[in-house]
Parts: sequence; C-alpha cells; structure tokens
Amino acid sequence: MKNNSKLGLMVGFSLLCFLIAACVGSVTIPVQEALRVLANKLFSIPLPSSVEALTQTIVWDLRLARASLSFLVGAALAVSGSVMQSVLRKPLASSYTLGVSSGASLGAAIIIITGWTIPLIGRFTLPLAGLATGLLTVYLAVAVASRVDKGFSGNTIVLTGMVFTLFVNAVLTLVAYFFPNRTRHILLWQMGSFALKDWSYVSVLFPIVVVGLFVLFRYTRELDMLTFGEEQAAVMGVETHKVKWILMSVAAALTGSAVSFAGVIGFIDLISPHVVRRWCGAAHKWVLPMSALFGGSFMVLADVVARTAISPTELPVGAITALLGGPFFLYVYFQKRRRA
Amino acid sequence: MLELRHVFCGYDAEDVIRDVSFSVAEGEVLCLLGPNGCGKTTLLKTIAGLIPYQGSIQWLGQEVRSLKRGQLAAGVALMSQISETYFEYSVYDTVMLGRYLHGKKGLLPSRTHEDEVKVKQALEEVELWPQRDQPITQLSGGQLQRVFLARTFVQEPKLILLDEPTNHLDLKYQLELMERLASWSKLPGRCVMGVFHDLNLAMQFAERVVILDQGKVAIQGPTGRVLQDSMIAKVFDVDVLNYMQSSLKKWLPPTEGNERR
Repeated sequence: MKNNSKLGLMVGFSLLCFLIAACVGSVTIPVQEALRVLANKLFSIPLPSSVEALTQTIVWDLRLARASLSFLVGAALAVSGSVMQSVLRKPLASSYTLGVSSGASLGAAIIIITGWTIPLIGRFTLPLAGLATGLLTVYLAVAVASRVDKGFSGNTIVLTGMVFTLFVNAVLTLVAYFFPNRTRHILLWQMGSFALKDWSYVSVLFPIVVVGLFVLFRYTRELDMLTFGEEQAAVMGVETHKVKWILMSVAAALTGSAVSFAGVIGFIDLISPHVVRRWCGAAHKWVLPMSALFGGSFMVLADVVARTAISPTELPVGAITALLGGPFFLYVYFQKRRRA
Repeated sequence: MLELRHVFCGYDAEDVIRDVSFSVAEGEVLCLLGPNGCGKTTLLKTIAGLIPYQGSIQWLGQEVRSLKRGQLAAGVALMSQISETYFEYSVYDTVMLGRYLHGKKGLLPSRTHEDEVKVKQALEEVELWPQRDQPITQLSGGQLQRVFLARTFVQEPKLILLDEPTNHLDLKYQLELMERLASWSKLPGRCVMGVFHDLNLAMQFAERVVILDQGKVAIQGPTGRVLQDSMIAKVFDVDVLNYMQSSLKKWLPPTEGNERR
C-alpha cells in the first residue's frame, strides 16, 4: 500500500475515533443521532425533533470538546516526540527528557499551593504557569548545553536535560513535602486528565498546535538529514545549529502546551513515532502527519477508556496510555521484526 | 579551484593540522595519503567547513569560513566514512536527500521532476535502482557505500571530497568508482580530492599526491615523483615501492628479468 493511501486510511481512522468518543460513555448515544448533532453543528443542517437537547449537550459540549482536546494533545505530543528522536538521534528521546514535564509540574504545583490567579486569564493561569516553567526548564537546559558544548551534540543536550529534570524534580519533592495537604492535588494534575475540559480549552490550544505543526512540517527534509548526523546534514547545506534550535524550541513548546492543558501524559510521544516509522518508513514528510494522526487518535481512545472503564470513576488518562500503549507497541515492533 | 595556505586546525585547542599549504586545480584528482592519525580526515572536514581553522582556505577565491552552509554545499560535497543509522530510510529517499539545495523552495518544499530524474540516473549508475524501496538498514556495507556515493553525485558539486570511499567495496566497484571519479573530474570546473589507503588506486588515478605526516605536508607533487621519493619510506615506516613490487613478483610467473630469487 502506498503512503498516500495509508495517510487517507489514518484520517478515516481518526474520524472513527471521534465518532466512538461521541457515542460511548455512561449514556450510549446511537451513531445516527451523534452524526445528526455533528451535521447540525458543523453545517447548520436542522436537527430532527427526535434528538433531545440533552443529547446535543452530551455529544457536542461534553464528549466532542473533550475528544478534540485529547486529539490535539496527543498529536502535539506524538509530533514533538518524532522531532526530538530525530534531532537528537536517540530512539528513546522525547521532550520529557529535556525537562518539560518536570518544569511544568513545578509551575503547576506553585499555582496549586499559592492559589494565585491572573485576573485576565482566570482558570488558564494553571496551564499558563505550567507552560512557562516547562519551557523555561527546556531553554535553560538547551542554553547550558550549547555553552558547554560548542558542537551542540545530542549527547550533551540529553545529559544536560536529565540533570535539569532531576534538579527540578528534587525541588518539586521539597514543595510537596512542605505542603502535604496539597500533595494529592499536585499528584492528580501530574497524572493527566481531560475531565471538565470544554471548547474554550480547545480554542486556545488549537492555534498553538496548528502553527507548531506547520513550522515543523516546513522542516521535514532537514529532519531527514539530521537523522544521518549533524556533519552529514551540514555538508548537504543545512544550517544545523539554527535548525536544531528552531526544531527543539517548537517541539518543546508543543509538549509544554499539551502538558499544561492536560497534565503529564507519557508514552504517546515515545511510541507513536516508532509505530508510524514501522508502517510508512522513516521519511518525515510521512512520519510527522502520520504521528499527529496516530497520537491524536490513540489519545482519544485512551480517554474513552479512562472515562468508561470503571464509570462513574475516572481513571488518569496517563496511566491508560501506558497500559494500552505498552503491549500495543511491543506487538507492532516485534511482529514486524519477526517478519523481517 | 581550492587553495590552502598555512592552515592550522584541530579539536579542543590542539592543532592536528599544522601549517598545511597546497592547492587543487580544475580537472585534477588529488590523493591525500599518510599514516593513521596524521590528520587526513580532519583536513577534509575542515575544507568542508565543519571544523574552524586558522590560515586561509579559499574555494573559488572565497574564504570557506565566510561562506554559508548552503553556499559551500553548492560547490563542495563530502562523502565521509559510513556512520551507523537506526532510522529505516529507503534507498531512494536517502539519495533524494542529496537534492536538498536543488528542490523547490517555499512554505512546504517539495521535489521536482528534475530531482527524480537525477536520483534515478544516479541509482542506475551505482546499480541500485532495483533496490530503491529497500530500507538502508538492510543493505551490506558495500551497497550502503554506493548509496552514499549516489547521494554525493546528485548534490551536483564541483569539488568532491572523499574519505576512504573504496572501503567496503569489492574490486569491481572500487575500479568503477575510481574510473567514474576520474572521468567526472575532467568535466569543466570539477576536481576531486580523496583520502585513500590503497596506494595502487592512488597511483592509477591520482594526478597529484599530498602525503601528510604528523599534521604537516611531508611530500607533495605529481604521483610518479612522490611515490619514488625517498621520504615516503620514512613517513610510512615501510619501503612502499619495494613492498608493492615484491608482492607482484611473488605471484606472477617468472619472466626474463623478473625471476624469483
């Protein structure tokens, strides 16, 4: 099958995931009704009287808003994972390696403990603080790496990122120790969840993700060349230092935004690029869009499981991604290997 | 086309190359020889703009350090020794990367029909067109070497720098590669500079030889004269000419004046 067809198939699968998210839950909505609500909201096609107002609210305001946010978060995480693995030439790298999640958790913990709210942005104070401290950690790590190693090699960046992650984690542990009554709240935020998220969150995250993905898609050929090593990319004409800075900044910003809206959700950024590469090769013009679609769809399904598995209690979606993702990843990776 | 004057360079403030001067003229194949660790690869990387240097390296009259990556890569290509790759690119996609500077620019860059024609031609020349969809991780060392050669040619440079390009290649491909490089270098405005370990290949194809020893030029000049220079035995710590002659004598049937002792 050609990669064009695989991309089309993946788009279809993503739409199917949205439909599943709209229909499945504590109240099951028939597919036809969910489609009618969608047609009404997207193309202003009048709703038949048989569709209740409650159904509309469940499908559109609750489930699809949440599915859209999950999709954006999953897509952002998966694409930024692909970029980090290629730029650093480390199959196990991700933005988390550079301290995004630790930094974001520290920022969020500070807001949770102090209860500060910035008047103009209200409830978005928590995600904004998470994003700011997550990015700050990455930029500090990368800035230190580029100063100690003029060659700006992948190993130096990963090592510096790990040192910063450990340092920030230690500060976070101290914060949790001194404010034990807030520890549960901090822990819940770190586990990740899409509960109570509405369209306003989607409208903030959507432009960030679209712009981020567009910038990264612009650099697919440079990403291809960087996977062969910086020297090879440089002798083919790539301004490696500048391009690496741009790619890592955008990837970190995408992860930071995703983490700040949904909490720390691991694993998707690690497995999505590997699964996609197994399916359609390593060229980034396919890997990036396919990762976005795969990561997004996987997150939508993981969230459906998180809210329905032991309903009405919600499970942390971060735990579901790892529980489902682990075995799935092993299956895809080793099945292909056996065939090869 | 390329001129080095009093070049010093190296790693971590320690000079590996010390006061090296020579030039490469249009249409020339220049061979860089020397014992292990004498700085041959470092010098190639410096010319390719990867290592900072003191002194002057001029490419077509312009100082290499003042050129942007794209400007230098439009004229100079470096084929370095094979590095391991984890990512499963197809043979075709790997060679297509060499067209980076030629592809269609814009918000979302793409390949042109010309890019596709050049890549097909290059893959046919290295006899890998039938394997174009195969992942490069499944290729042998020799096949991978040919993929990277094809990528170097589709870059359409004017100077090709090669770091031991015949490694991993069997004799047939070694000779084909050298013949191809020699004829390519005779096209207008082209030249080749390579590090080779095989003195036979150097003798057969290089017009000039530069021998480095401990980061300095020990001998340089036309191939025939350099290989007969008494200094060469000192640099390599082996009587090179006698060694090459005696290995032939050992296996060839004895003829008049060439009898086995």
